[in-house]
Parts: sequence; C-alpha cells; structure tokens
Amino acid sequence: MFTAMTIALLAAIAVWWLLIQGLKDKPWLTQGVVPTSQEGITSSAPKVGLWIFLAVVSSLFGLFASAYVMRMHGHGGLENWQRLDEPSILWINTLVLVLASGALQIARNRIDKDQLAHGRAHFLAGGVLTVLFLVGQVLAWRLANPNGTLGASSPAYTLFVLVTAVHGLHLIGGLLVLGRTAKQLFGNIDKAGVVTRSRLRLSVELCTTYFHWLLLIWLGLFALLLST
Amino acid sequence: MAYVAIADRDHHLHDPQTFIEKYVWSQDHKVIAIQYGSVAIFVGLIALVLSLFMRLEIGFPERFSFITPYTYYQFVTMHGMIMVIYLLTALFLGGFGNYLIPLMCGARDMVFPYMNMLSFWVYLVSVIVLLTSFFVPGGPTGGGWTLYPPQTVTAGTPGHQWGILLMLLSLAIFIVAFTMGGLNYVTTVLQARCRGMTLMRMPLSVWGIFVATILGLLAFPALLVAAIMMILDRTIGTSFFMPALMSLGEISKTDGGSPILFQHLFWFFGHPEVYIVALPAFGIVSDLLSTHARKNIFGYRMMVWAIVAIGALSFVVWAHHMYVSGMNPYFGFFFATTTLIIAIPTAIKVYNWVLTLWQGDIQINTPNLFAIGFIFTFVHGGLTGLFLGNVTVDLPLSDTYFVIGHFHMVMGVSPVMVLFGAIYHWFPKITGKMPNEVLGRIHFWMTFLGTYAIYLPMHYLGILGLPRRYYAYGNTTLLTPSAQAVNEAITIAAIVVATAQVIFLINVFYSVRKGKAAPHNPWGATTLEWQTPEIVPKHGNWGPKLPVVYRWAYDYSVPGEERDFIPQNEPPKPGQPVHG
Repeated sequence: MFTAMTIALLAAIAVWWLLIQGLKDKPWLTQGVVPTSQEGITSSAPKVGLWIFLAVVSSLFGLFASAYVMRMHGHGGLENWQRLDEPSILWINTLVLVLASGALQIARNRIDKDQLAHGRAHFLAGGVLTVLFLVGQVLAWRLANPNGTLGASSPAYTLFVLVTAVHGLHLIGGLLVLGRTAKQLFGNIDKAGVVTRSRLRLSVELCTTYFHWLLLIWLGLFALLLST
Repeated sequence: MAYVAIADRDHHLHDPQTFIEKYVWSQDHKVIAIQYGSVAIFVGLIALVLSLFMRLEIGFPERFSFITPYTYYQFVTMHGMIMVIYLLTALFLGGFGNYLIPLMCGARDMVFPYMNMLSFWVYLVSVIVLLTSFFVPGGPTGGGWTLYPPQTVTAGTPGHQWGILLMLLSLAIFIVAFTMGGLNYVTTVLQARCRGMTLMRMPLSVWGIFVATILGLLAFPALLVAAIMMILDRTIGTSFFMPALMSLGEISKTDGGSPILFQHLFWFFGHPEVYIVALPAFGIVSDLLSTHARKNIFGYRMMVWAIVAIGALSFVVWAHHMYVSGMNPYFGFFFATTTLIIAIPTAIKVYNWVLTLWQGDIQINTPNLFAIGFIFTFVHGGLTGLFLGNVTVDLPLSDTYFVIGHFHMVMGVSPVMVLFGAIYHWFPKITGKMPNEVLGRIHFWMTFLGTYAIYLPMHYLGILGLPRRYYAYGNTTLLTPSAQAVNEAITIAAIVVATAQVIFLINVFYSVRKGKAAPHNPWGATTLEWQTPEIVPKHGNWGPKLPVVYRWAYDYSVPGEERDFIPQNEPPKPGQPVHG
C-alpha cells in the first residue's frame, strides 16, 4: 500500500510538473518566439544537476532499504534473521551529523552575506563534524558486533555495515568536494573578482544541499534500523 | 552573475588545440558520441559472433569441438548482457544521446562536458573489465544474462570463480559511467535549450532519450544494489541471496538468503531497461518517419504523453518476468493488469506512426526502410508480449523458444532496426558523406527478412514446447523431427543476417573514405541539427550565435509553402500570423 501511494504521489508530481511546463500546448498552432527567459545554459544548471544526482542517490538508498526489509522477512527463503541491537553511539553520531549540517548552513548564510571569517569557520566545522560522524560509524560497527564477523551467520549486521558503508562513501565523496571548495574559500578570496565569488557561493550552496540531503537519508536509514 | 558552462565561455580558452584534446580527451559531445558509438558497435560485434556460435551448436549439434556445454552457457550469458547493456543502452544514450541532444536543443555542448568525457572513459573501463573475463581462469560467467543466484555463484556453473566477479564489477562501473552521462543528458535538456525551444517544440528523439535517461538514473541503482550484494555473497560468504544448499553431499555455509530478492532487484532494473532502449528508439523512429514521409508526425502531443506514460508505467510491471517464481496469484494479477495497461500508450504510438505514413510522400530510402521495418518487427514483438504478459499463457511458454522469439523481436531486432535507420539518417551529419544507397538497401533487406527467418519460426518451436537454455536436445521423443530441421534453417538464416552486418561495415568504411559529399540538408529535415553553419558541425556547433527557434519540429508539406519543409529556426514571414 505504501509503495502504491508513493508511486501515485510521484506520478501526480510528474504530471503536475509536465502541465506547468506547457505539455498541454499545441505546438503545431504556434509560430514565433515563445516568451521564455531561457537562452543557452542557465545559471541554475549545476543546482538542477545536483538535484538529479540526489534523486539517483535516494533511489539507491531506497532500494537498499527495500532489500533490507525483504531480506529481514526472509522473502522466499528461510528465516534466519537475528535482530540487530543498535549501539547507542548511533544517537550521538546522528546528533553530530545534524550539527555538521547546521554548521554548513550557517556557513552558507554567512558567505552569502560576505562575512567570510565566520563562514570559513563554520564551513570547516561542518567538515570536521562529518569526519567525526564517519569515525563514530566505524566505532558503531565494532560495538554492534564485537567479533566483527560479516557473513551468513549475521545478515542483519552485515546489511547494517553495508548500508552505513555506502552512506559513508557518499559522505567521503562530499568531503572531497568540500575540501576543494574549502581550498578556494581559504585562498585569497577577499581580493577575488565578482565572478569568482559568485562561483564560490554556488559551490558552498551545492555542498550544503548535498550534506543536508545525506543527513535526511541517514535519518531515514536510522529510523529503519530502529524500527526493525 | 549567471553560471556559464565551459562550452559557453570564451572560445579561445577551451577550443581543443592538439590531436589528444580533439580526439582522445575530448570534451566535445560529438566526439564523445562517436567514441561511445565505436566502442558499443565493436563490443556488439563480439556479441554477434557469440550468438553465431550458439546457433551453430543448436543447428548442428556437437559438430564444433570448441563449443562445449561449458562454453555454450558462457556465450549465452555474454551475448545477452553485452547486447542489452553495453551495446543498446550505450549506443542509444551514450551515442545518439550525446550527439543529438545538444544539436537538437540548440546548445553548444552538454552542460558538464568534463563529466561527459569521464563518462565515456569509465564506460570503456567497464567494457575492458567485462572482456577481461574471457582471459581469467574459468572464463566468463555462464549463469545466464539474468545472473540468477544461487546458480551463478555456485561451483559447477561456468565462470563462478572470476567470471561472475568481473561481470558484476563491470556492471557497477558501467552504472557509474551511465550516471555521469545521464546527469548531463537530463540537465542539458532542462537547462540548455536555445531561445524559443520549449519542451513541446522538442523533437521526439530528444523526448525519448530524455525520459529513457530518467528511467535509467532511477532504475540502474537497483542493479547496483544487486551487484554489490552478490559480490559480497561470492567473496565474503554473506547470505543475501544464497539459501542453504546441499552440494556434493555437503551443506553449504550459506543460509536464509533469498534468490527471489535478487530477481526483484534485477527486474526492477530489468523492465525499465526495456524502455531505456525502447523509448529512444520510439523517439528516433518518429523523427525518421516524419522526415522521410514528408509529413508532420501524427498526434505529437499524444506521442509525448505516451512516452511519459510508458516511462512511468515501466516501473510497475517488473514482476511479469517472474510469474514462474511462485508468486502470490494476486501479485500475478496486478502485474498482468499493469502489463496490459502499458500496451495502451504503446499502441497509440504504433497507430500514430502508421497514420504519419498515411498519404505521406513516402521516400523509399535506406533510413526510411529501416524505420518502416521497425513498425513491423515491433508490432510483431509487441503482440507476442501480450501473450506472455498473461500469467496463464506465460506459465507454459516461459521456458520455451517462444520467449526467445518474442524478446528478440521486441528488444533485439526492433531497436536495432532503428539504430541502423538512425545511423544511415545522421551519417551525412556525422561524416559529411552520403552512405551508399545500394549497399544500404541490400543491408536492410537481408537484415529484415533474415531476422524474420530467425525469430518467426522460434514462436512455432516454442509452441511445440522446445525448451530454451538447452545446450543440446539429444534423441528425445519430446520433439518432432521438424524441430531440428527448423533449428538448422534458423542457424543458416542467422549466418545470412551476420553477413549482412559485414555489408553494413563495408558501407560505413567505404562511404567515409569514398562516399559522395553530403549536401547541407540532404533529407530536407526541419530539426536544428541540420541547420548548423557547417554540415559537420565544428566545436561549439553554432558559430558566434545560438539559433532561435520559431516553430515545432514537424512543419513538413505545409500548404502554401514553396518547400515541403520549414526549419525550426526559420522566422515567420512578414504578414504571417504569429502566435504563442
């Protein structure tokens, strides 16, 4: 039922989007330049590109979550699922990732207002907190299963490690971009021209959006782990 | 300050200067398209040869010492996966997507050219990893192109040692490449269209590629999840897909895994994959038919909505590939119903293609022959799909040659007909030379009639009950003597069709070297790619100014006009009513 409702909602959004894009038009009846602001590549292209990528990432984790639930219910196989006791450090990790996301948001706001010193500090804090989250996740692997054995005897634990590892890899990818942006941010940006500053603001905005989204995905995964 | 992509920045900064920049590490979408196309066709030829080996064994059993049961299943597996993923997906989206989207939308290049370049090179790595499996101990995987566990990773299956790992790794790399390319295609369509190019003025080729790319971006992650989990099952002994097994008197260490979970993941990708290939074909064939029938496409708006509807519905039909897995009958009913519903927008498209031809000034040339041939093969494959979409009919036919016949008509021959039509149609644009018409027609008739000679009898064999996936049938009373005779005939037809592809290659190489120089717009087409300053567009495509679009893409044979086409960038004449 949930799947059907999700699909129906997505379909409704898609139809609505198509309608506002003019898909009711009768192009064979119109000539001349239709009023449009678009000419060549628009300024929002990188943002659109990022959102499309985030849709792909969401699809990936949604499918991991589906696989987790189906494997848990022993779909078509024998049930040998042993419930995973989530280590309490996961709560702390979650808090750290929320703080990282918040720091990046403050950094974005400050950099938009040209308050570079504050912006830099918060941007750096966002990165450091993300690294802390990753360290915490590795600790959580150890705490959830002191033996650390992956394999047939512990499907819940193995899936937990797999899903958190894939999430962590996405964060590491984000950190690489964050590092590149930080290099520019800590460079001689005060004397840079308007164009460079504008690009830098865009980079910071894209980084922030990406990390917010990965926080949302983690919250979803954490909720799934807690509910199973 | 507006963001300016590399392709729109100062030209002296980014025009490629050296051979390496122009043809190897090129960020030009046209070069990348040709790179994608060349690799895809190369690897497709390998898959074609593998299919000939399979047919030789089925037609003339045990006459060829190098075809053993072991190698036979490897040929089957590699043929299927290469054709579906590394040829069709890569050629339609990486090849034609790259070439057509910027040109048809009036853009200078893709929005992210560097990522576009990386997309090709990562794709090449995936192909190399896949082909490496021919040279590792045990050879490539022979678990069937669907890679079903537990068989694929169990001892006794060809390539269970290294072959399956390389296959899964290659698929994962391919998905990374596809994602990088796909982000470009979708963003470019949404963000880089020229002035006046509304979504509803876009040619249907772009619509098909656009929606297919969205499907790919959302569906390929399912294959990635399945590949990662199966790699872990194979390497560290997890039991995501592996149940407890008894093998050679020993109980396996695996327990509780679900092979059906793999099937769900695989087909959640696998069925949209059908439309990832079909939608670009639908779009391109619409443009070919309209251009070569000198008539506007019938029901443009309905064609767009049908593409979108098929794309959406393709995500809710996947389990019709799994009727024989023992699913709940209510699920079977649901998926049979959605399968029949998806036939509605598909049928709308077929009617519209036929009505586009109706009373058109149909040009009998190679691209159009392939486009019209597609209508035949697609209707044929589509109708047999209705049989297999019904649970009660599918159950007895599922493991027979009927499925092979259906699948190859709808997913093999039909898209390939469009690919050939598209190559002949855009050959002058890509190379500046006209393809040889005589060789092209020979190629068409041998391919069209030959493929019918291959796949039509397979339906008969399927209804006889001839099981698929068998290496040899032996002296069984199950089959009539005619079945073997038919199999021999099919193999001969397959050799003829393969020979026809040699003619195609000769045509390509001959025409590139010695073909007639192409006129600027040889087919009298309206779409923007034919309106570039040079017949073979230079880097940046449009010279100093981007085009402006004034009309839709199908103004053919407009009453009162001198010419029988009006290019999209031709302004309305003074005194003509202007709407919009």
